[in-house]
Amino acid sequence: MAVSESSAQRYQLQDPDVRLMLEVRDDSAAAFDELMLRYQNRLVTVLEHLVGRRDQAEDLAQEVFLRVYRARKRYVAGAKFSTWLYTIANHVAANALRSLSRRPEVNLTARPNESGGTNALDRMALAASGAMPTRQLDKVELRDVVRAALAGLSERQRLAVLLNKFEGMSYADIAATMEMSPQAVKSLLSRARVNLKEILEPYLQDGSRPPSN
Amino acid sequence: MTEHENTQQDLHDELTAYLDGELDAEGVRRVEQRLARDAAYHAELRRLERAWNLLDRLPRAAVDERFAKTTIEMIAVAASHDAEAVQDSWPRRRRRQRLWGALGLVLAVVAGFGIGHLIWPNPNQQLIEDLPVLQNLELYYQADNIEFLRLLDSENLFSDGETDHAG
Repeated sequence: MAVSESSAQRYQLQDPDVRLMLEVRDDSAAAFDELMLRYQNRLVTVLEHLVGRRDQAEDLAQEVFLRVYRARKRYVAGAKFSTWLYTIANHVAANALRSLSRRPEVNLTARPNESGGTNALDRMALAASGAMPTRQLDKVELRDVVRAALAGLSERQRLAVLLNKFEGMSYADIAATMEMSPQAVKSLLSRARVNLKEILEPYLQDGSRPPSN
Repeated sequence: MTEHENTQQDLHDELTAYLDGELDAEGVRRVEQRLARDAAYHAELRRLERAWNLLDRLPRAAVDERFAKTTIEMIAVAASHDAEAVQDSWPRRRRRQRLWGALGLVLAVVAGFGIGHLIWPNPNQQLIEDLPVLQNLELYYQADNIEFLRLLDSENLFSDGETDHAG
């Protein structure tokens, strides 16, 4: 990627993570540790919601860090560090999702739940059946409903949402990460918001079960 | 996409960009003016915002120390493999360098021979050219007149079929 001297200097000045990455380029192990500490939870969070499984998200995050290490000598400060990192993560996740799509047993909405072992749709079915003593939206249930709603988005919508919501990325940064135009990101996020609203609104109104994927 | 859907899409694009802080000042002013006078538009904004805010309920990962440790170990192993691969590539590189060196040497020898041949002609060349004269030297002595011999030569009388010039 061709990067002008002035923009490289600008990113270096504005983004401390870019400065760390430049130290990593010069083989600083401490800088690499620091970057990993800063991003490991954020990266695993995004990847977990993308691929639907925590263990796999951790494996993919490790793969991303490995790629960062291997690409260190070619690194140029052509964007914010997070944009560069999530561009790599996007490719790693896309490869993983392609592999997952070839395995019919994997279902993003049917992942095990840390707190109980049942998935969101099971909980919602239970809630809708009236078998629950009270149909209060407790935190765990609502979290599972939201997770199912997010899983109901397309892969690209989901990534755009996660980068915007969790990473606070601008449309321009998301566009750079996902290799599309800012206008396309705007439409993608707009459709994602509408989809989320359509999935979640009935549940919030009367506890109706969101449609399964 | 129908005109209605198109309009709806534009509306949602505009509201989404407004909520994401991605509209310019003119866009913000336009949206806020409509929000003030259009209840349905305002209600749609609230619905979009409420669904979006629910994403805050999603869990955030917190990896343990094992994650960092295994990542560093994985990278150390990869770095070690990379270093081995570089070392393995050295003999191949050296072989390639030797091959190119040998090829260069051959080319230099061929070029040197050609240039030397141009600069220092073959000393036997003159003898080869004079061979027909040498073969008939006894006869030429008997003629005793160089002008006469040149005249005979101009008539091609010395040609033996292999050389057409006797000198």
